Amino acid sequence: MAKMSIYDPALCCATGICGPGVDPELLRVATMIGQLQAQGVECERFNLAQQPQQFIANPVVSAALERDGAEILPLTLVDGKVIKSRAYPTNEEFISWTGARKVLMPL
Amino acid sequence: MKGIIMFAPFDLGSIPLTKYLFFTGKGGVGKTSVACAVAVTLADQGKRILLISTDPASNLQDVFDTELDGHGVPIRGVDGLVVANLDPEEAAREYRESVVAPYRGKLPDSAIASMEEQLSGSCTLEIAAFDQFTTFLTNDAINREYDHIIFDTAPTGHTLRMLQLPSAWSSFISESTHGASCLGQLAGLEGKQQMYRHAVGALGDAAATTLVLVSRPDAAPLKEADRSSAELRELGIRNQILIINAVLENPTDAVSGKLHAKQQAALRDMPQQLAKIRTYAIPLVPYTILGLDAVRAFLSGTRPEQPAAMEHPERTRTLGDLVADLHATGKKVIFTMGKGGVGKTTIAASIALGLARKGAKVHLTSTDPASDLQTILKNPANITLSRIDEKEELDRYRKEVLDTAMQVMSKDDVAYIEEDLRSPCTQEIAVFRAFAEIVEKAGEEIVIIDTAPTGHTLLLLDATQSHHKEVQRTKGIIPPSVRNLLPRLRDPRQTEVVIVTLPEATPVFEAERLQADLRRAGIHTQWWVVNQCFSLLETDSPILRHRAAAEAGWINRVNALSAGHTATIPWMHDTPVTRLLDTL
Repeated sequence: MAKMSIYDPALCCATGICGPGVDPELLRVATMIGQLQAQGVECERFNLAQQPQQFIANPVVSAALERDGAEILPLTLVDGKVIKSRAYPTNEEFISWTGARKVLMPL
Repeated sequence: MKGIIMFAPFDLGSIPLTKYLFFTGKGGVGKTSVACAVAVTLADQGKRILLISTDPASNLQDVFDTELDGHGVPIRGVDGLVVANLDPEEAAREYRESVVAPYRGKLPDSAIASMEEQLSGSCTLEIAAFDQFTTFLTNDAINREYDHIIFDTAPTGHTLRMLQLPSAWSSFISESTHGASCLGQLAGLEGKQQMYRHAVGALGDAAATTLVLVSRPDAAPLKEADRSSAELRELGIRNQILIINAVLENPTDAVSGKLHAKQQAALRDMPQQLAKIRTYAIPLVPYTILGLDAVRAFLSGTRPEQPAAMEHPERTRTLGDLVADLHATGKKVIFTMGKGGVGKTTIAASIALGLARKGAKVHLTSTDPASDLQTILKNPANITLSRIDEKEELDRYRKEVLDTAMQVMSKDDVAYIEEDLRSPCTQEIAVFRAFAEIVEKAGEEIVIIDTAPTGHTLLLLDATQSHHKEVQRTKGIIPPSVRNLLPRLRDPRQTEVVIVTLPEATPVFEAERLQADLRRAGIHTQWWVVNQCFSLLETDSPILRHRAAAEAGWINRVNALSAGHTATIPWMHDTPVTRLLDTL
């Protein structure tokens, strides 16, 4: 199975519920990643506000940030290659890109 | 004739003192004065003392006439005394810088800016202040260096939150399993659980920590002291003493007689649980506790060399003038702000009543947990009352988040969200949203908000600002009330902030800082109210005449600051919302 890495913009917390409003998109992504991980899919996630070191350590991410600034985030990598930027993967993309089983979740 | 209630004098020589002394009490009771006097008296006895304020609106700098910082400054003229002022804003700035600095030049500016923005919220503020506070409590070198560490803690709500944090966060950090929680952003705090446990242990150890509850002989602060006492006892802080400050001992005329009777009545009706605590009294003094002479005199019963100010107050306006102006200019959102204990609630209620009598529809609300609007105004025409209750708001917000989550998540996964909802930041958000919703109601009706004491108000405003930024960025569902809040607060045609103070040094200094902070936030202020003026009464009591004489300078200062928009109110022996307007 492929390895997925998601580089978030600076977030207060992964679910975003600390913000002034609830963002269903962040809830969806947090849940989706949780479900993939539960299946044994390798799916890592980094938050710019919490783990800036990870953004520097990855040359692909670092170069993308250097070129386009923080607006490029969120950035999704599959097996080290950028596959999507400026938006999170859809549920279908999560499944097809990682080769995971279809997960039980309203789409 | 009922017997006079008397307590043992507060004599440091006869009281067993622990390593840590925590002072708490409603704003304006003289908590800082007592903490300073204890610190200076002990240092004069040759002890090594560290005095720390955790109040965002602290006035320790004024008391010692010394520029302070968060790390400790020795006080000139008092051998062995070091004073630190933990400013949450400054602590947050230092914390933010420590997190961001290593990445400057390594990440593009836009990434650095978004990190900084994310680290500017109320979570960071609380966490950074707490972190500094815990360091003083648990650092071995600091503990070896001082015989006593005295905390002049923040006014009630904030203090409680701060003191509750050690246990709340220790369990939060250890129980959080997915590791991507709110506290995760505070990378610098990881691995500090040990320190927090240690802090909780020290707070609950009766041989190490004493909680000093400070109150005036007045119903409201006594009730507040009882509440703090119970809450902290529940948190394991059982070693408590009570100090009643500003007790008038020898009434000599009608006015001082009324003050004495009022004090005695309050002491007789003291909450039962509170009455069981060892209690000491400090007499009312006719001078201001500013400068070392006054601090030293305060507990020794002597009198400092202070020239009696013989200025006369300038002509000021009345509360009636203020209400007429607010009515004529058609203000829709009115705040009363100021230090706790200055009478904000009474003033807010009086303004509400005044406007209602002019035919306006008024909504009066409070964010102050100690507010008792219902008992002050009884079913008034044209006025609706409400209160922002932190616990209720938190429950409401949790339910809203979980309902949203249910729509996009399976039931099992909602547990994931529930973890984040246990974060301490969620409470700030919940209160903030309730506050925005009430301001949103202004339009048809005038909304009057009796806000919580200064420190909390500042945090609330800060939250407003950082959320305003976030609103522009986030793609989340933002209620219109939140989106409209700051633009509305910044519009002087709609919003008026009435700053309430007393004719004394500390409340005036703090009100000035509040005004500066409001300006920084782009919020306009015009009217000031100087409450509880003895100088507007006829009295022969020497001690009250002394106090009255000292008031003039402060009244004139406020009058100049407000360009003549100052309403003064005489001291009164009861809480007469209706009389307040009628007599003026």
